[in-house]
Amino acid sequence: MLIELHKELKDLIDLAKYIGEIKGEDFLEIGKIVEELQSLYLNFYDYKETDIEKLLQRYNEKLREWLKKAEETLTPYEIVKITRHPQRFTLIDILENVYDSYMELGGDGELNLDPAMICAKALLSRRVGDEVFFHQVMVIGHEKGHGEEFRRGGSATPWGNEKALRYMKMAETEGIPIHFFIFTPGAYPIEDPPGAAQQIAMNLYYMSKLEVPTVSFISEGGSGGAEAIGLTDIRLMAEKGYYSVISPEGAAAIEAKLKEGRPPREIVEKMAKNLKLTAKDNLELGTIDKIIPEPPLGARRKDYEFFKRLKYELIKATDEVVLQTRSLKMLRRYALSKQSTESFKYFVNWNLSEDEREILIENRYNKYRKMTQWALLESKGLLKSVTEKTSRFGQKIVYEMKYNILKKSQRTFLKFWEELVSESSLIIKPVSDPVKSVYNLIVGKKARPKVKTLTEIEEDTGLYVSPLALQDKTVTCPQSDKYGCPDLWVPDLYGEFCGVCPTCGYHFPLEYKWYLNNIFDKDSVNTFNDDLSSGNPLNFEGYAEKLRIARKETGLNSALLSFEAKLGGISLVAVMLVSDFRQGTVGVAEGEKFIRAIEFAKLTRRPFIALVHTTGGIRIHEGTMGVVQMPRCTMAVRDYVDSGGLYMVIFDNNSYAGPVASFLGAAPYKFALKSTRLGFAGPRVILETTGQAVPPDYHSVENALKRGHIQGIWDRRELRKKLFFALLTMGGPNLYYR
Amino acid sequence: MKINFQELTQLLQKFKANPYKTYPVVTPHTGYLVEFKVKEGDYVAGPTGEWLEKPGTPLFVLEREKNPKIIRSSHFGTVQNLRMDLLKKFVEAGETVLEIKHPLTQEEIISEILLSSLLVVRAPETARYILSQELVKKLEQKGMGRTKIKEGDELLIMTFMKRETPIYLKEPGEFILYQIYFKPFELVQAGSPLIGLCPIEDLPYLEKIIHRIKEEWSS
Amino acid sequence: MKDKVLIANRGEIALRIMEACEALNLDYVTVYTKEDAESLHVRLSKKKYRISDYRDINDILAVADEEKCTAIHPGYGFLSENYRFARRVVKRERPLIWIGPSWEAIRDLGNKLFMKKEAYKLGIPVIPGTLEPIYNEIEAELKAEELLEEASALGFQNISFLVKAVAGGGGMGIEEVKNLEEIRPVFRKIRAYAKRLFGEEGVIIEIKIPIFQHLEVQILGSKEGEYVHFGTRNCTIQSPYKQKRIELAPGFCKNFSYAFEVEEVENQIIEQSLKLAKHFQYDSVGTFEWLITPEGKFYLMEVNTRIQVENEISAKISFIKGKPVNLIKEQIRVAFGEKLGYTQRDIHFKGMSLEFRLIAEDTKKGFTPLSGIITHFSYKPHSWLTLRTHVPQDSPYTIPTQFDPNLALAIIYGENFEDLIEKSHLFLSELKIEGHTFKNEPLVTNIDFLKENLKKVYQFLPA
Repeated sequence: MLIELHKELKDLIDLAKYIGEIKGEDFLEIGKIVEELQSLYLNFYDYKETDIEKLLQRYNEKLREWLKKAEETLTPYEIVKITRHPQRFTLIDILENVYDSYMELGGDGELNLDPAMICAKALLSRRVGDEVFFHQVMVIGHEKGHGEEFRRGGSATPWGNEKALRYMKMAETEGIPIHFFIFTPGAYPIEDPPGAAQQIAMNLYYMSKLEVPTVSFISEGGSGGAEAIGLTDIRLMAEKGYYSVISPEGAAAIEAKLKEGRPPREIVEKMAKNLKLTAKDNLELGTIDKIIPEPPLGARRKDYEFFKRLKYELIKATDEVVLQTRSLKMLRRYALSKQSTESFKYFVNWNLSEDEREILIENRYNKYRKMTQWALLESKGLLKSVTEKTSRFGQKIVYEMKYNILKKSQRTFLKFWEELVSESSLIIKPVSDPVKSVYNLIVGKKARPKVKTLTEIEEDTGLYVSPLALQDKTVTCPQSDKYGCPDLWVPDLYGEFCGVCPTCGYHFPLEYKWYLNNIFDKDSVNTFNDDLSSGNPLNFEGYAEKLRIARKETGLNSALLSFEAKLGGISLVAVMLVSDFRQGTVGVAEGEKFIRAIEFAKLTRRPFIALVHTTGGIRIHEGTMGVVQMPRCTMAVRDYVDSGGLYMVIFDNNSYAGPVASFLGAAPYKFALKSTRLGFAGPRVILETTGQAVPPDYHSVENALKRGHIQGIWDRRELRKKLFFALLTMGGPNLYYR
Repeated sequence: MKINFQELTQLLQKFKANPYKTYPVVTPHTGYLVEFKVKEGDYVAGPTGEWLEKPGTPLFVLEREKNPKIIRSSHFGTVQNLRMDLLKKFVEAGETVLEIKHPLTQEEIISEILLSSLLVVRAPETARYILSQELVKKLEQKGMGRTKIKEGDELLIMTFMKRETPIYLKEPGEFILYQIYFKPFELVQAGSPLIGLCPIEDLPYLEKIIHRIKEEWSS
Repeated sequence: MKDKVLIANRGEIALRIMEACEALNLDYVTVYTKEDAESLHVRLSKKKYRISDYRDINDILAVADEEKCTAIHPGYGFLSENYRFARRVVKRERPLIWIGPSWEAIRDLGNKLFMKKEAYKLGIPVIPGTLEPIYNEIEAELKAEELLEEASALGFQNISFLVKAVAGGGGMGIEEVKNLEEIRPVFRKIRAYAKRLFGEEGVIIEIKIPIFQHLEVQILGSKEGEYVHFGTRNCTIQSPYKQKRIELAPGFCKNFSYAFEVEEVENQIIEQSLKLAKHFQYDSVGTFEWLITPEGKFYLMEVNTRIQVENEISAKISFIKGKPVNLIKEQIRVAFGEKLGYTQRDIHFKGMSLEFRLIAEDTKKGFTPLSGIITHFSYKPHSWLTLRTHVPQDSPYTIPTQFDPNLALAIIYGENFEDLIEKSHLFLSELKIEGHTFKNEPLVTNIDFLKENLKKVYQFLPA
C-alpha cells in the first residue's frame, strides 16, 4: 500500500508542478504546494501510512479544485504551453492507447530516418453489437517524444516529410485510410535536399489527390510544418492544442522588431491572443472541423478516457469521410444514430470504389475551395462588378460550348483532349510559321531597344520608365568589393540596365510595375478581381490600420495582382505577388485571387505564370486563415496541372516560407532571377531553430539550382525573351498554349 | 627542401622586435571626404564572422556624384596618422587618408616566413592577376593546403597590356598550393609573390617549420 | 565666364587637346592615373587631378564639377565612343558640353549592325551579308546559301564567309568559313563564344572581301547643319590584329595605277559618307571607313564617332582659305555651337602626308605589346616633321602596363609621293628609341616593321 501511496504522491507532485508550469509560479499558492509535497516526498517514510493517506487526499482535493480554477482562467498562451509540455501525450502514446496494434515503419526510436516523423501501420477495432471488426490504417505523424532531444520536438526534416509522403503513397496503393497526427512546432527549416519548402509543397500537391480517406488530428499545428501532413478530408483538433501561422514568440519578435533575444512576455501573451490559435478559435474560423475535448489543463500520457474518446472520434471521422462519398441518406442516418465510445451502431467499410474515390477528391476540393471564403471582402454592389460577372459568365458559356470542359467529371480530360487536338489542328498554324514570327518579334524589339532611353521617355510619355531612374546620382553595387564594379549612374541602372549591374550581374530590386511594363506585350496587361481585398478576419489588433496604409500607399487591395496578358502574342493568365503590399505576404484575399486566376486559366486553357516580386510568407495577421491558403492554392495548382495546364513560377528578390512551401514550390517549372534569395526560413530563424548559423549564400539561387529547387537562373535583362522561349519550349502540344 | 633553422630564428626575432604591419588606407577614387568615423588611436576591426560576412569598421565617408560611400577597414589594428586636414576637402584618388597599425597574427607570420621556404611563383610583370578557373575549382573542392598541382598546370591568368596571358607551372614534380599572396584584379608589382607552393615530398618539413613558428610565437 | 574643358584622356591626344584649348584661349583641366604620373601630359598641365581610372566616369565628372568645367573632351579610345557617358554628360543636373557628336549618333552609328541597316536603306553600299542577327543554324545555312548566290551574281570569285558575333569587334568572335558545310559548326561555335563573352548570342554572316585597300573619309559637321569633308586617308597598313600602323593622306595616289576611275570612286565615298552623316545629323568630326576592292567596288565598314589618331595627316594637306587646319580645334569650336565660317569650296588640298605609329611591340612575336623603361628617345627636327608624344626626352620613362604601348606619332609632310617616302625614310633612320624591359632585355619597337612596310603603301593587300 505504501508503495502505491508513494506513487500517488509522485503523481501529485507532477500535477502540482505541471499546474505551476502552465499557470506560472504565482498561480494561487502552487509554488508552496510543490515545496510541501516535495518535502513530504523526501521524508515519506517518516510518516505513518494513515497520515500520509489523509494528507494526500487533502492535497489531491485541493489540486483538483485548483485544476478546475486553472482551466477556467486558461489564456491562449497557457494553452500553447500545455501543448508543448513534455507531459502531454504524444503520437507514441496514441499508437499505444488508441490503436489495437501497430508496427512502426521506416525506423525505430533514434535509429530513424527522421525520429520527429513516424509512420506506422496500425489496426483499429470497432465494436458493433457483439462483433468486433478491425480496420487497417496508415498512421503518419510527428513524435515530440516527451522531451527526447533527438525528436527535435516534432520538427520534421525535409526527408522526414518525404518519408511521410512515401507511406501516404503506400496507403494509397493498399487502399487504406490515413490518420495524420500533427504535433509540430514547425518544419525543420533547412534547405538540404529535398528542401524544407519544396518537400512540403510536394506533400500538399500529392495529398490534394490522395485517393484514400484522410483524417488529421492537430495537437500542435505549427504552420507549414503542420500543413505538410495536414491537407485532409476531416481535420480534428485537440481542445488544448494550438494551430497557428507562427509561434506567439515568433510573432512577438516581429511585432517588437527584435533582431535577437527573447521578446517580452506581455507581447507574447498578446500575440497568442491575437493569433486566434486555440481550437475554439480555429473552429470558428472554419479551418478545422471538430474539437476533441480534453480534461482540464489538457490530456497527459495517462488520461486513458481521452484516448478512448479519441479512438471513437477517429473512427467516426473516417466513417463520415467514407459515407460522404456514398449516399446522403446513409450519412444522415449515421449522424442521427446513437453511438458511444463503447460501441458503434454500424460497420462502415473503408474501402472505396473507383467512383467513390472520384467523389472523395471532389469533396476534398470543394471543402478547401470553400474554406475562408466567408472572410472575403468584395464590393458586390458596384455596377462594374456586376457587368464584369455577366461578361465572365458569358465567357464561361463560350468556353463550355467550345471545349465542353465544364462537365463535372474531370476524368474526361483525356477524351476532350482528343477533341481538342482535332479542333486545334485547324487553329494552330504550321509549326514553322509561329516560330518565325516569334523570332521577328524578338528581333524586332531588339533593333529598337525595348528598354527605354532617356530621349524616348522625353519624346513619348506613354513609355514606362522606372521612377527609380529619375535621379541624378550614383550608387555602389553591393558586390563591388568582390568584382570591382564601378559605381552606377542611377538613370542607366534603372533604365537600360534593367536594374542589373553590368559588371557582376547583381540584380537591384525594381518596382513591380517594371515587370508589367517590360515583360508583356504593349498594352496587353489586363488585371481582374482588383476589388477583392484583404480583410481582418481575426480582428488582429492594429492590422486594419496596417492594411489601410498599405492600400493607400500602393493603390492595391491585396498583395497579389491577377491579370491576363500577352507575351509575343501568346495569351496567358498570370499572377504577381507584390513586395510593396505587406512584403508580398499571403492571406485570404491573395489565396482566393490566386485560385480564381488559375481556375480562369484552366477555363480558358491558357498558360499560367506566377511572378514573385517578393513574398515574405503567409501573413501572420490572418493566422491559420492564411495558413490554409497553402493547401487551398496547391489544390488548385494540382487541378490545373492535371488538366493539362502549363504552370511556371519566376522568383525574384526574396521568396520565403509558406507560399514557396505550397503553391509556388509545387510548380513543375520554376525559375529565379539572379540575386534572388529563395528558401523556407531566413537565417535568423534557422539559427534559432537549429542552433547553426548558415553561410550568407545559403539561400542564393545558385544553391537553389544546385539543390534542384529551381530549373534555371535567369537574367532580368533577358526576362522577356527567356519567358517567351520557355513558353515555346515547355508549352508543347500537350500543354495549354495559345 | 632544407630547413635553415638559424635563418628561421633570425626571421622570428625580426618579427618579435616589431610584430606590426602598417596598412595605408587610400581613397579608392576622388570625392569629398565628408566625415571621419574614427579618430587617431581608435581600434578598428577588419571583416569578421565565419564567412567574413560582417564588414570591417567604418573609417570615413567619401562622397562622389551624390553617392556617400563608407570606406571600411580591411584589417584589425589601431588608427594612426589620420589626415584631419583632408576633412571636407575634395580628395584625389589614391590619397592616403590614414594608416592601420596591425598586430601580426601567428598565421600572418607563418605566411611571411614561408615565403623563404616555399616555391614562390612571382609576378613576371606589373599586371593584374587572377587564379585560373581550374585552380579555383580545385581549391573550392579541396581547400587550401590540400590542392595538388603538377608541372604544366595552368596556375594564373595575367592581364597585361590589355591581353590575358596564362601562367603555367614550369617546375617538374607535384606540389601543394600553400599560400596566396595577392588579391584578384589588384595591380601586382613585377617580382611580388603571387602564390606559394610546397613540393609534396617536402610537406613534412614544412609542417615542422610551421610547428616551430607556432611554438616560438606563442612563447 | 570663360569656358573650361576637362580633358578625359591621356598621352599624346591629351597634349594635342591641351594645345588646341590654348590656341582657342580656353581653360582646361587634365586627369591622370598613378601609373601615368611621368607622362608629359601631366607635366605640362597646370591643373591636374589624379583619378582611379581613365574609364571611371564618376571620377571624371566629379573632377569636372569640382573644377567647374563647362565641357568634356573625351579624346579617342577610353570613353570617347561610350554613348552612355556622352548622354550622362549632357543629361545630368549640371550638364556639360560634350565635345563630340550627339550621344544618339554615337549609339546608333556605334551599333554596327544598326548602322549597316540604315546605310543599306539609304542605298549606301555595304558588305553583302545579313542585316539581322541570326540565332539558329538552319537560318544561318539558308542565309549563307542566299549570300553565295548574291555574291556570285555580283561577280565575286572564290567566295568565303565571315561568321561574326554581333557584339564582337577588334578581331574577337570572328571566323572565316570557306565552304557551306562548315557554316553550321562554325556558327554554333561563334554563337557559344558570343554568349559566353558578350552575353549576347546574335551572329551575322558576311562575304569576305579577300583583297582591298582601307580608305576613310574625314567629315566635319556643325550644330547648324553645315557639312564639310577633309578628303580621304589610306590606312591599309595594319598589324595582324587590325590595328593601323601607317596612314597616308590622300587615300589614293597618282603614282599608282588603278583598274578604275580613282576620282570617281573617291567622290562617291565622300558623297555617300556625307549622306549618312546628314541622315544622323552628325555634328562633330567623324571618320567613315570604306573597303575598296581592286575592281573599284567600295563598301562602308564602320563609322568612328570621335577624333581619330590619324586626323592630323588630313589637316596637313588641307587648307581653309589658304590657311592650315587643326581638326581638334574645329571639333571644339563646333561643340561650343560655333558656325564653321567656311564651306567646302574654301577647302583646298595640297601635298601628301604620312603618319607612323611608333609602338613598343615585338612585331616578330605576334605583335606582343611590351613594357619597360625608355632610356633614350631622340629624333632630328625638320620643318616637314611633327612628332606627337607624351614620352619625355629628358628623363627615363616607364611604359605603363595598363595601356597600349604607343610611344609616339610621327607626321610627315611631302610635296609629292617621292618626296614623302624619302622624308619618311630619313625620319626613321634618324629616330632613336632605346630602353630595356623589366627582364633587362633590350626594348624592341616597331621601327623595322614600319621601314619594311613603307614599300607596301597604296597597294591592295590581302585581308
